[in-house]
Amino acid sequence: MCFNSFFFLFFFMLINFFFFVYFIMNGLSVFFEWEIISFNSMSIVMSILLDWMSLLFMMFVSLISSVVIFYSKSYMNSELNLNRFIILVLMFVFSMVLLIISPNLISILLGWDGLGLISYCLVIYYQNLKSYNAGMLTALSNRIGDVMILMIICWVMNYGSWNYIFYFDFMKNDYVMFIISFMIIIAAMTKSAQIPFSSWLPAAMAAPTPVSALVHSSTLVTAGVYLLIRFNYLLIDMFFFKVLLFLSILTMFMSGISANYEFDLKKIIALSTLSQLGLMMSILSLGFPDIAFFHLLTHAMFKALLFMCAGVIIHMMNDIQDIRYMGGLSLYIPLTSLCLNISNLSLCGIPFLSGFYSKDLILEMVSFNSFNLMVFILFYLSTGLTVFYTFRLIMYVMINDFNLMMIYNLYDEDYIMLNSMFVLLFMSLLSGSFLSWFIFSYPYMIYLPFNLKLMVIYVSILGSILGFMVSNMGIYSLNKLLLSYNLSSFLCLMWFMPNLSTYGLSYIYLNFSQILFKNIDMGWSEIYSGKGIFNILKNYSVFYNIYQMNNFKIYLFSFILWFMILFIFFFI
Amino acid sequence: MNNNSNKMFFLFILFFSTLISISSNSWFGCWIGLEINLLSFIPLISNSKNLLSVETSLKYFLTQSLASINFLFMILIKFSLLKNFNMNNIISIMMNSSLLMKMGSAPFHFWFPNIVEGLSWMNNFMLMTWQKISPMILLSYYFNKNFLIFMIIMNLIIGSLGGLNQTSLRKLLAFSSINNLGWMIFSIMISENLWLFYFLIYSMMIFMMISLFFLMNMYFMNQLFINNMNFFIKLNLLINFLSLGGLPPFMGFMPKWIIINFLLINKFYFLTFIFMMTSLIIIYYYIRIIYSSFMFNYFKMKWVNLLMKNNMSLINLSSFISISSMILSTFIFM
Repeated sequence: MCFNSFFFLFFFMLINFFFFVYFIMNGLSVFFEWEIISFNSMSIVMSILLDWMSLLFMMFVSLISSVVIFYSKSYMNSELNLNRFIILVLMFVFSMVLLIISPNLISILLGWDGLGLISYCLVIYYQNLKSYNAGMLTALSNRIGDVMILMIICWVMNYGSWNYIFYFDFMKNDYVMFIISFMIIIAAMTKSAQIPFSSWLPAAMAAPTPVSALVHSSTLVTAGVYLLIRFNYLLIDMFFFKVLLFLSILTMFMSGISANYEFDLKKIIALSTLSQLGLMMSILSLGFPDIAFFHLLTHAMFKALLFMCAGVIIHMMNDIQDIRYMGGLSLYIPLTSLCLNISNLSLCGIPFLSGFYSKDLILEMVSFNSFNLMVFILFYLSTGLTVFYTFRLIMYVMINDFNLMMIYNLYDEDYIMLNSMFVLLFMSLLSGSFLSWFIFSYPYMIYLPFNLKLMVIYVSILGSILGFMVSNMGIYSLNKLLLSYNLSSFLCLMWFMPNLSTYGLSYIYLNFSQILFKNIDMGWSEIYSGKGIFNILKNYSVFYNIYQMNNFKIYLFSFILWFMILFIFFFI
Repeated sequence: MNNNSNKMFFLFILFFSTLISISSNSWFGCWIGLEINLLSFIPLISNSKNLLSVETSLKYFLTQSLASINFLFMILIKFSLLKNFNMNNIISIMMNSSLLMKMGSAPFHFWFPNIVEGLSWMNNFMLMTWQKISPMILLSYYFNKNFLIFMIIMNLIIGSLGGLNQTSLRKLLAFSSINNLGWMIFSIMISENLWLFYFLIYSMMIFMMISLFFLMNMYFMNQLFINNMNFFIKLNLLINFLSLGGLPPFMGFMPKWIIINFLLINKFYFLTFIFMMTSLIIIYYYIRIIYSSFMFNYFKMKWVNLLMKNNMSLINLSSFISISSMILSTFIFM
């Protein structure tokens, strides 16, 4: 099952690659449409849009998913129901593909809902309490986005069909489009875990690592960004885009800070995903959709690789994810640490790896166009924070001394996992330049003063020095985190937003519903409709029975009495 | 002595008496039929070896003769006061009252559960079905609508409330019969054809139930809870009880459905409400019996074996009819 799906997806990736090259070189785009039903002036159609953006994204999705399925052959080899897992992953890929190729809101809804549902099934795959809670958080946060898209479908019925791409040029100033843009931004924010809805992404790390590699690094969370890229013509002058800019910058900043306080390996990577998502959303809301798409793709590559390396390390450490137990692994697992280092450095934006092309372009565009001072500061600060937590991670895992645990098995020669990582390593090295040559037919014109140009390097060096200094852990180190406990817990717990969106929302309603249940369901409505009526009827029946058990004479006499009454009543 | 040839003779006269009563063109003929009905039914139910059945037949005789006397008296008053139209109301009420007493309908129903308790199952079957034909048809010749609607409401309520507290199967069927009398009297007011339809289906359902109880010789509710009954017998019991209560898709739902249709088209909303609520109480009581006997482990007697090998065809046929006849009838008639 694993090998079959791996080959199928790899072959699919190759097809997409060839079509992508052909389409982008010739400037083609193909639109298939099949009208399913048409009544009362609305027509439900099934449409497929194949232009270079959807083909490229499909290629990347199928590459990552084929590699992840191959990886999970070895990672989940002790799983009894491996077929079920692979089927879920394949269904996930199918929903993602449906989302990518559809210019039609109904098929977007199908793909969107499918993504939310299947990611719930995958997050609760290990059936323990933490996974259940995480799955519930994931599903309900994604559900808000589903509701938003449903409402958009209702509002778009004003225009006569659900193919939204045809309406952007004509309906930009319409009131309906105003509402639709508001809702689509909220839908994308729930899917891509921006600030009000960002609590599900670190919690969803309770999923198996291949799932995290596929879902939470490159496909599910980028669905929101992709949707906004498609809707970009509509949203570009609107007020909500500026709100989105504000929120995504804050997301970027907050997750960068929180990743510095985390000691769980997968949570650090999840928070770094969140930070890069904030980066993508913010550059999109500044008006550069193609750069956002570029960063989406390169980020998918190295983040999936990073998750897979984390999976190998977790397997080696006997399923422990805490980085304080690891250390000095670069000496023992050279190949895995090669992949880990390259993906980490690509994340930081080290020159000429794939992350450099997209990240550097973003930062230079931000400096070149005149934006807000706060935008500028937060962008560069977040870049520095990225380098900070990356170097901290590398120091803890790779460079510091090995914290001896009781059981460990530093086994690097698992070639199934390594081969899949090498594919992504190759792509992670080359995809930056390859994509920049394809997507941008002419380079952006950027003219910056010298120090501003080198600002990135200054910030990166600063971040790396701080990362090095923070991770010097020794026996006599003073735990500065405990000295400033209030501030540290605020920054570490993601500015208390997970508590707000879980406990804060549900406590009032649960309390109220308990009062209602006790007083009404088990209280008054039992007297007035349940047992109460039964008691009344039973008492009537008992009374009637007493009345029935009489002398026979009384029956006859009552009849005669009746007649007498009738006589008297009518004759007098 | 009460051997089979006696029974055949009196049964023959019983049938003929009803035919006399309903096909006469004078009120006297009706009364004659009623009297012969009474006289031929008494030997059927009295068995001199059993004190209870003697007492029962005496009670039956007393009530029915009282009702017949009243009926005769009202007929005579009607003939003599026919010119005076404002007497029309009271005469019809009186005649209806005596006929209602003949049938065992409320408010003159007190003898009915009593007597039903004292009869055997086959005699009960006669009492509940055949004896109701001639009073109903006579009722349809000359009825007072307002009075009858009031009587219907009383029938329904008493039939449903009285049955809640019973443990004897005969009394239970008696109260159910009183309830169904309410439906039947209303169907008389709609059309005689409909009454005939309701009556035939009701008598078929009663026949299936009574034949089941007769074959198993069950008179009380706790006898239903024997666990080693054959599964098909229990299923048949379930289906027949639900059909008697008027639950779709069984056969007993169809006549009630037509009556409710008529009620709603002609805007008898309050009456519909009473019909519905009392049916609910009746069904509640049936379901209470059924799921105790059908589902729970109640009582297992090892030396009673109720397999009933030689009578299975009747039970299977009756189950099949109860389940499918409503649906099949739509294919035939529509």
